[in-house]
Amino acid sequence: MKRESVKAALGLLATLAVWEILGRSIPSVRDLITSPSLILAQYWTDAGLYIPHLLATIRSSALGFIIGNCAGVAAAIVFSRFPAFENAFRGVNIALFAMPAIVVGPILAIIFSDNLPQIILAALVVYFPTMSATLVGLRDIDPRLPDVIHAYGGGSNAILRFVRLRSALPAILAGLRTAAPLSVLGAILGEFGSGVRWGLGSFLLGSLGDADPARLLGIGLAATAVSIAGYAVFSWLGGRMAGASLAVTLAADRSPDQIIPAGRYSWAQRTTLLFVAGMLPFVLWWLTVRISHISPIIAPGPVQTARYLVSGPGSSDARSSLLDALAQTLPLAGLGLVCGIAAAFVVAALTVTSPSVAKIILPVAILLQSMPLIALVPLVLLLFGRGDVASVLISVLVVFFPAFVLLAQGFALVPRAARELVQVYGGGRGKELLLVSVPHAASYLFAAAKLVAPRALLGVMVAEWLLTGKGLGNLLNTSRGLLDYDMVWAGAVISILVAVVAYEAISLVERLSQGLR
Amino acid sequence: MASGRLDAQPYESADLSIEAVSKTFSTRGASTQALASISLKVRRGSFSAIIGPSGCGKSTLLRIVAGLEQPDSGTVLVRNELPQAFRARGELGIAFQDPALLSWRTVRRNVALPLQVLNRPLNSHRQRIDDLIELVGLSGYADALPGQLSGGMRQRVSIARALVTNPSVLLLDEPFGALDQILRRSMSQELQRIWMASPTTTLMVTHSIDEAAFLADQVVVMNSEPGRIVDNIAIPFPRPRAPELLTSPEFHTVCDRLAAALAPRGTQ
Repeated sequence: MKRESVKAALGLLATLAVWEILGRSIPSVRDLITSPSLILAQYWTDAGLYIPHLLATIRSSALGFIIGNCAGVAAAIVFSRFPAFENAFRGVNIALFAMPAIVVGPILAIIFSDNLPQIILAALVVYFPTMSATLVGLRDIDPRLPDVIHAYGGGSNAILRFVRLRSALPAILAGLRTAAPLSVLGAILGEFGSGVRWGLGSFLLGSLGDADPARLLGIGLAATAVSIAGYAVFSWLGGRMAGASLAVTLAADRSPDQIIPAGRYSWAQRTTLLFVAGMLPFVLWWLTVRISHISPIIAPGPVQTARYLVSGPGSSDARSSLLDALAQTLPLAGLGLVCGIAAAFVVAALTVTSPSVAKIILPVAILLQSMPLIALVPLVLLLFGRGDVASVLISVLVVFFPAFVLLAQGFALVPRAARELVQVYGGGRGKELLLVSVPHAASYLFAAAKLVAPRALLGVMVAEWLLTGKGLGNLLNTSRGLLDYDMVWAGAVISILVAVVAYEAISLVERLSQGLR
Repeated sequence: MASGRLDAQPYESADLSIEAVSKTFSTRGASTQALASISLKVRRGSFSAIIGPSGCGKSTLLRIVAGLEQPDSGTVLVRNELPQAFRARGELGIAFQDPALLSWRTVRRNVALPLQVLNRPLNSHRQRIDDLIELVGLSGYADALPGQLSGGMRQRVSIARALVTNPSVLLLDEPFGALDQILRRSMSQELQRIWMASPTTTLMVTHSIDEAAFLADQVVVMNSEPGRIVDNIAIPFPRPRAPELLTSPEFHTVCDRLAAALAPRGTQ
């Protein structure tokens, strides 16, 4: 273990040295990726700017982290105790899981002021991973323990109090670990939407025009450092308090299907629950704008937004600009998703043929999973400019790492006996991969696709918003600038709906393919 | 819940009375009759063992007595009460094959768990908890976590936990089932010593003939498909029973009789 960390540190130092030498000696490289010492020098020059920007982002993400995690843990307790609530909130949960967070920022900026939009977006982003990890932790208990409590007349509340809450602690800490870097991303995306002065997101937005590589990469690295620090703190806490292991880490990275049991209901009950689950997000939307006492002109409810898109004056213009934007965004997101998962599958397969590679890649991938995708924007901009390639590349990169971690797990879980059977009959690594490992791990492809599809869409939309000036991301950004409130709401709702439909479509294909097996 | 079912005859000297209890499990269309009209009485202060092959429903019967499962028909009365009412007063102690300890609690706090579930003050029971830990031979380990103990030690913790409420009925579901043969024998000795310290009405499920004959006053033999009682044998040996009993001819006679009752019908 120690030798490996020494190796990793040496590798990092060597990379930095090569980067420094190239950046210093070749002017065209310096213009693209600068050099470590130049970035450090820029930090020194910009220190007066970095401190308030960093503090603003850390403050928003920390507050959002606290609020979102409290909500997530509380929701999980309610869901585990009263499963009907979980069914009713399924639509809300899937929407919060799948939503491209960047579209929610402008809406929050309409309803709330100051730093609240960033804080709330950070809270919304961390809710789902913490809720799902906690729920799994609360459910996944030693099945004998409820018998012990029942034998002394204790009911569900006693089981929750004496068994479930404490049993769930490692899972909750694993959820917090996943949530920490996400809260930073949520705060930064919120800054884009609210247009506040201070924050790393605002800093990045204001620096994109100059394209000074040392400053852009510096901001990306600062965002990464904050995220990884958050991850590290909860990783350390988890290790200290609960001995949380790698397997528990992965429990936090779940898509809604994996935590929501079908339950046994009659046809009529199922239809009712489905209806409630589908309507609840819209009811909450309606309630929020009603309670906030904001003019319906800038905060329309569901009915008004539907009218804007379907029957109101100018509805055909609104529809066509939305459809045009979707036609630009969706193919790029789909391409990013497919390429990212394919690359992840191939690399994950390599971990079987050469386990030593897995030992190096897996920890790096788990760490890079927590890198905010915002940090990729400067690098992609400097290397690939502002075209569609940038959109797809960001999307591929945000898809690759979580998909790889999940698929590598799939390859690791191939039954050893099945692999050894091929070896006993003289089959080599290639044959074993083809006959056993690949078909086995392929069943994890759908799980991976469900987990990362929302990220692919978010990646493309962030690129569109910040770099390419096309598609849905750009439509939202320009509508926000033009104070076209109806379009901000319609665009956000359509984006979330598209993400939810994509998620449900993958689930449906998964179920159909399971039926065929 | 307790009232209304008391019209059945009260049994004066029986702590446990099981009357015509039946239970059928159905999974995916196929149904198995786990228990077919079981009737059994357990005398106050006696030690009874239920023995039978896997799947004969002996654990299901114990779970029904504990109120963890509901019978399809028939009644179970524990001191003339329904199990749910009885156990809510903390009169029932139970230990399973799996010690089912809370891994984050020390031995002392695991033993205290039933008191907390029953909302009883811990302060007035501290001495009893320490005494019980000593009784099961774990003094010095009171502050250890379950992960630091061996399998046999963990099972002793679960027995101490079962005794902490000073129950009037003790249910043991294959308490030594997960232990190796050598350890089982010494645990049987221990259990007899613990039980004799305060003879509680005890019902133990086991599939070890030795264990049943060594510990019990009566051994109930069950068989499967459907789960039913095929024999009920009184064990006459005086207590305390020494380890030498295991090698005596009288003991083997009893064991042979139990084995014969357990054998499938065709081979008898």
